[in-house]
Amino acid sequence: MPVLRYRKVLEVLRGAKAFLNLEAGVTHGTVSEPTRTDPDGRSAGGIAPENMIWIFGTGRTGSTWLAAMMEEPEGHKVWFEPRVGTVFDPQRFQRHGGKHFILASQYKDVWLRSIRNFILDGANARFPELAGGYLAVKEPGGSVGAGLIMEALPESGMVLLIRDPRDVVASWLDATRKGGWQTRRRGEDGRRAESLAETNPNAFVRRHADAYLHHVGSARRAYDAHRGRKVVVRYEDLRADTLRTMKRMYGELAVPVDEARLVQAVEKHSWENIPQEEKGQGKFYRKATPQAWREDLTRHQVKTVERITAPLLEEFYPTGPAEQEG
Amino acid sequence: MTPRLKRIWRRTMKSGKSLRSRDLGSSRAGEQRSVRPENIVWIFGTGRSGSTWLGSMMEGLDGYAMWNEPLVGNLFGNFYYFRAGDRIGKAGKHFILGERYKEMWLGPMRDLVLGGAAARFPEVTWSGYLVIKEPNGSIGSPLLMEALPESRMIFLIRDPRDVVASSMDARSGGSWLKERRDDQKRRVEPEKNPNAYARMRANSYVEQIEKTRQAYRAHGGRKVMVRYEDLRADTLKTMKRIYSALEIPVDEAELARSVEKNSWENIPEEEKGEGKFHRKAKPGGWREDLTPEQVEIVERVAGSLLRELYPVRSTA
Repeated sequence: MPVLRYRKVLEVLRGAKAFLNLEAGVTHGTVSEPTRTDPDGRSAGGIAPENMIWIFGTGRTGSTWLAAMMEEPEGHKVWFEPRVGTVFDPQRFQRHGGKHFILASQYKDVWLRSIRNFILDGANARFPELAGGYLAVKEPGGSVGAGLIMEALPESGMVLLIRDPRDVVASWLDATRKGGWQTRRRGEDGRRAESLAETNPNAFVRRHADAYLHHVGSARRAYDAHRGRKVVVRYEDLRADTLRTMKRMYGELAVPVDEARLVQAVEKHSWENIPQEEKGQGKFYRKATPQAWREDLTRHQVKTVERITAPLLEEFYPTGPAEQEG
Repeated sequence: MTPRLKRIWRRTMKSGKSLRSRDLGSSRAGEQRSVRPENIVWIFGTGRSGSTWLGSMMEGLDGYAMWNEPLVGNLFGNFYYFRAGDRIGKAGKHFILGERYKEMWLGPMRDLVLGGAAARFPEVTWSGYLVIKEPNGSIGSPLLMEALPESRMIFLIRDPRDVVASSMDARSGGSWLKERRDDQKRRVEPEKNPNAYARMRANSYVEQIEKTRQAYRAHGGRKVMVRYEDLRADTLKTMKRIYSALEIPVDEAELARSVEKNSWENIPEEEKGEGKFHRKAKPGGWREDLTPEQVEIVERVAGSLLRELYPVRSTA
């Protein structure tokens, strides 16, 4: 029988099935139901929203390292960059107003519930084994939507992961230069591998400082607005005393962890335990040295980053601009 | 049944159930929905193709409402097909719009539309119809029609040369759209660089129409393709054809009244003309509006669609 005829038969059967589902309410119980929220907005099964921990900030702040350590305890998993925050980036729709726009403020309660289901359904589909466990969502690249996500999931915990913007920009500069890991990855993806880091490094620095301000600024505002459990973690503190910082983080988030297991996780993912050949210039694991920007950036580039990211730099790294630090 | 057919059967059943069963789930969650998914009529295509006019004629009928550009298609489609295009499938398990989990995210997308419709149009009864005018969200039309397979679909097309000419007029100094969006930074202004603008608009036309065509072909439900030029030539006849193809019963006298009420002739003279929302409504007006170079640009960019939809070539 030609495929076309099969399709026709299937269409007819699909119609009959739709009729049964819609008109008679027949269910078969063979497909896992998507997570729904009960009238109080709580999850009715699967991963509990209060057991989700969102990591926001920006790229190159040690979020992969932090997430790797968070995945070690029993019953803990990591959702690695779902980018859900980017889908609901409010800036994309700034110009759209009025009651007709799907994300119109007048109907926020309606669409926030959909965003919540969008996330919870996605989490449960990917981590069906995790019911009752903890899910860390590593989402630095989706920080622009952090505000909406935390509003949709107010019971969830939030980590605002911060790193000196000068080191962040220096790290990106290294990653996207010729031979850098990001450049190689783009080439493998078939995307344009040529980088602004090579052709115009100062413009590259400006662009990434802007991105830092946009991403971390959005995450910062979400952090302020979030009434639930939350904690600021500085990359520099993680590097200086990883175990202590991890314990503080879990304490603030009120997540119970076995200390011996945490010690193992910290040890397993320590800088010293990364093979030597995987570390160095142009590699994903580069220096892990706070303030390495002093060697990596030109004076002009440092000034550019300091000027653009001033509000965040002053708040989290208050020692002042480079000249004053000597 | 062959093993292949069994696999198709299982997939089809699984897909049909889980999407449609969301209505039951949502009822449990206490959502009161007034609009039936099968009574939603989507208008996709591209801007400046008469979608406001068509939507208004449909909205003029008793029991109808129009949702004017929710841009839900843009929200998802733009990200799915363009901004994150290379991530689809590749990112595997983790990417929120990953292919493997499409079934899971189409459901909340469906909820977003149905919940939004119910909140905005509580007056639309169980037997009423909601027309969703979404030309500027056409980029996501394949996803939306997949999420709402019972809904009806109108694929509205217009000659790309007239679309580009109309868009150029709308974005020129003092025009209705230019004033509305004056605060926006646009990369290409038709007044500063008309040829670049023509190219950019022709490209967006192709993107939107190709995605609409993809959705139209895949949609197994009721659907109809409508040419703006046919609507202009014989509005009532074309409207009757639309309702017939969509299998929606319509009172002919009421339809005739709505057509008359929304006719070009009934728009006040002062609301028509250059720089206004109602400009010319003249198929082939591009011959007066575009330079030969601009015509060539549009025909080059939208060539294959032009040959398919408007087989008589330019004589510019």
